[in-house]
Amino acid sequence: MFAKGTNKGFLGWMIFGIAMLALPLFASSATVRIFVFANYIAIFAISWDVLSGRTGYISFGHPFLIGIGGYTTALLTHHLDMPLYITIPAAVLVTMIAGTLFFLPALRIRGTYFALVTLAFMELMYGLVQVVAPDITGGTRGLTGLPSIVTGAVSNYYLSFGVMFTLGLAMWLLIRTRLGTALGSIGMNEEAVRACGLNTTKLKLFAFTLSAMIAGLGGAMYIHYLGSIAPRGLFDVSFLFTILVACLLGGAGTITGPIMGAFFLTLLLEFLRPYIPGSERYLIYGVATLVLYVLQPRGIHRLIQITVNWFVEGFMRRKST
Amino acid sequence: MSYFTENKGFDTLSATSENRPQPMLEARGLTKSFGGLMATKNVSLHVNPGESLGIIGPNGAGKTTLLNLLTKEITPDQGSVFLNGNCIDRLSIHKRVLAGLARTYQVPRPFHDLTIQEHIRVGMMPDGLFDMLLHGADDEKELKIAESVGLGGERAQQYPYELAMGDLRRLELVRTLATEPSILLLDEVFAGLTVKEIDQISELLTNRRATHSTTYMIVSHDLKALEPLVDRVVVINFGEVMTEGTFREVVADTDVQNAYLGTGWEQE
Amino acid sequence: MLIQILLPGLLLSGLYALIAIGFTMIFSVGRVLNLGYGAFIMFGGYIYYQSAQILGLGKVPSFVIATAAGVLLGLIVYVILIRKLKGDAIAIEISTLIFAIVTQAAIIVVFSPSPKSMWPLIPGVLRVGDVIVTYNLVVAAVTSWVVLAALFLFIGKTHIGRAIRAVSMDPKGAVISGIDPDRINLIIWGLSGGLGAMAGIFLATYTQLAPAMWVAPLIIAVAVVIVGGIGSILGGLVAAHVIGMLETITTTLIAAELRGVATMLLIILVLIIAPKGLFGKAEL
Ligand SMILES: Nc1ncnc2c1ncn2[C@@H]1O[C@H](COP(=O)(O)OP(=O)(O)OP(=O)(O)O)[C@@H](O)[C@H]1O
Ligand SMILES: [Mg+2]
Repeated sequence: MFAKGTNKGFLGWMIFGIAMLALPLFASSATVRIFVFANYIAIFAISWDVLSGRTGYISFGHPFLIGIGGYTTALLTHHLDMPLYITIPAAVLVTMIAGTLFFLPALRIRGTYFALVTLAFMELMYGLVQVVAPDITGGTRGLTGLPSIVTGAVSNYYLSFGVMFTLGLAMWLLIRTRLGTALGSIGMNEEAVRACGLNTTKLKLFAFTLSAMIAGLGGAMYIHYLGSIAPRGLFDVSFLFTILVACLLGGAGTITGPIMGAFFLTLLLEFLRPYIPGSERYLIYGVATLVLYVLQPRGIHRLIQITVNWFVEGFMRRKST
Repeated sequence: MSYFTENKGFDTLSATSENRPQPMLEARGLTKSFGGLMATKNVSLHVNPGESLGIIGPNGAGKTTLLNLLTKEITPDQGSVFLNGNCIDRLSIHKRVLAGLARTYQVPRPFHDLTIQEHIRVGMMPDGLFDMLLHGADDEKELKIAESVGLGGERAQQYPYELAMGDLRRLELVRTLATEPSILLLDEVFAGLTVKEIDQISELLTNRRATHSTTYMIVSHDLKALEPLVDRVVVINFGEVMTEGTFREVVADTDVQNAYLGTGWEQE
Repeated sequence: MLIQILLPGLLLSGLYALIAIGFTMIFSVGRVLNLGYGAFIMFGGYIYYQSAQILGLGKVPSFVIATAAGVLLGLIVYVILIRKLKGDAIAIEISTLIFAIVTQAAIIVVFSPSPKSMWPLIPGVLRVGDVIVTYNLVVAAVTSWVVLAALFLFIGKTHIGRAIRAVSMDPKGAVISGIDPDRINLIIWGLSGGLGAMAGIFLATYTQLAPAMWVAPLIIAVAVVIVGGIGSILGGLVAAHVIGMLETITTTLIAAELRGVATMLLIILVLIIAPKGLFGKAEL
């Protein structure tokens, strides 16, 4: 069912899982909270990667999907006092529907135009949330005092990690099936895929819906972790920036790359805080990403691959002589 | 095959009244213009089962456009396409492939990040998403198909950027063969190849025809390479069918020679 | 009532045309979207602010300095980023977007995150009946028309202009006739940087100077290009007026906050209904 080399990669996932499970035993609660944030960014990055990394339909509007999920659960809990076990699935469902609508244009347009439509959707949402029915959505200030799913840094850590790990592993396995190959080939040459007898519309719709599902789930859980929601910071280019940078830095299209990128990004940002406060960090990040992107478009994932291969080859060579 | 629209009665009548076999693929009055330019004008032609039809014509004659119309890469302004007597106008590209009508491209369109074997995997891919998800690839069969065009063994793990033009054409061909076409449209399979590469591909096509009785429609500039491969030739000029006949008849035709004069086809 | 919409609408459209022109140019020649175009605009605004209001170098010299700085920035972006990505449109879009955010971070580091208000280029207001428009906006619109006219002459009449047109219509053909597309692209990026910076000065005096100010003009430029038809400067000019009027109508008649919303809806509708733009793909 899965492509070759899956077992070796599986080992990596297990090591990663065990290390992450053990983390709260050693780390302070402040560090654990940073990791919670990294987990959520990783979920969003996975969602982006399933769609854009694979099919090549670049989404600049992922915050839109995340925001739809977030707002759905926020409104339902805030106004109707509905329990989370209803509102979160509802949020996922609404996001999947919105995601499908959102991506309908993709059946006609692609490349640049698609990216722009998604960007326009995000900006549109930013405007609408503030203007239309601000007494319900909370307008520019948003909503606060939203219930949390679990309390405490460690519980939130395990919750977010569990979801991230499950989704990540599932998507990683998915891209290693034939379905994954088919999705990936769309990003390489869509006409040729059709000429191979594949229904690309069906495949794209699947990728869109799956991506929206992950974004909706992540978005809903994220805002309950934060306890508040507001249009600024959510339907926002800097949020988009974080997701994009995580994926590109890590290596788009590989699932593991964007997860690495998300961790690298969040951790370095946080650990740099004592030394370089303020926006310099973003400056350094952006520049570092640009340089890396120009030099190695496949990101950290590829760099690690190259390094590992180099060691393995060196080892083999020494053994054979 | 539920997606075929119903055949109109008189079409069948006209086919039988001339007492010729049911064509495998038939174009009736295909017309397509790009802005002011008529790329094909009322083109009608057919290919019989098991036949190999050559399509020749000077540069810009409309040959690629004709293939695009047959596979619905582009939609005709007028005219219809029939497969085994059924009108397939409403079938999209991928459904036509599933129905057995497949093609290669004049400029190869490989998947830059997939190995040769993975190209074959895409070609063999089933239609259903769950099928793709739940059933793994048939490694053995993929390699066997790769082997059949001489890209088996270690070579099956190569990426397109490692391949020379001849191998790229073979890759394009094998990906299409993996869809198990009953009729194969080949667009300039010999362009940019060395004499040796042309021989290899030519042999491959001949063998395939012997083993699978695949029907061909071969577009080529290279008349020398085309000659042994085709039973019949249709000449297209300025988007119109100019003449048709056996290879010898067609090249002896003075109109055809005039159409080609000065376009430099003789040298190719 | 009508003049209340028409006059400010016309002037705003002029400003939008100026904002969009540098963006359209890059698209029509290189077939890539420079999503970092907003950074040129912001950069121009801040350089002008530094020069005129902090260093007190006077308005006209500051205007020239800011425009020149924009040209320089455009050239730098082309050389260190765009050329390296070798026409990969998606890579260029992603990296120019990141570039814009990097510029935003740099602006915050240098100038602090708080918005700055700019002195108008020419103080005072113009009264036409009940309608009041600032001289500042009038100057912006007039400059925009002058610049656009000059650009048309440049592209139509000069040797470089013809080369630019050739590359935009058929890059491969241009190479055959001895034009170096790389040189042309370099020129275009410089020009675009300068025009962006200039537009930034006007935009900043019209609204205010803030590190996030690059998003709105980028969206406007994108909208103009999309509505006007990709790569068509004339279509873009018409589109700038459609969008300027549309915004003026929504802000005066419905609600001021809806300014961006109308534009977004227009972009989405046009992209879905007529991806080639309302005016099709015309020549440069
Ligand atoms: N998508 C298109 N838009 C506009 N014109 C087109 C398009 N496709 C083809 N044409 C024009 O239609 C005519 C026929 O083109 P076509 O590619 O079918 O010729 P051809 O016979 O395959 O030529 P060649 O031998 O060069 O492959 C040409 O003049 C070409 O420029
Ligand atoms: Mg052709």
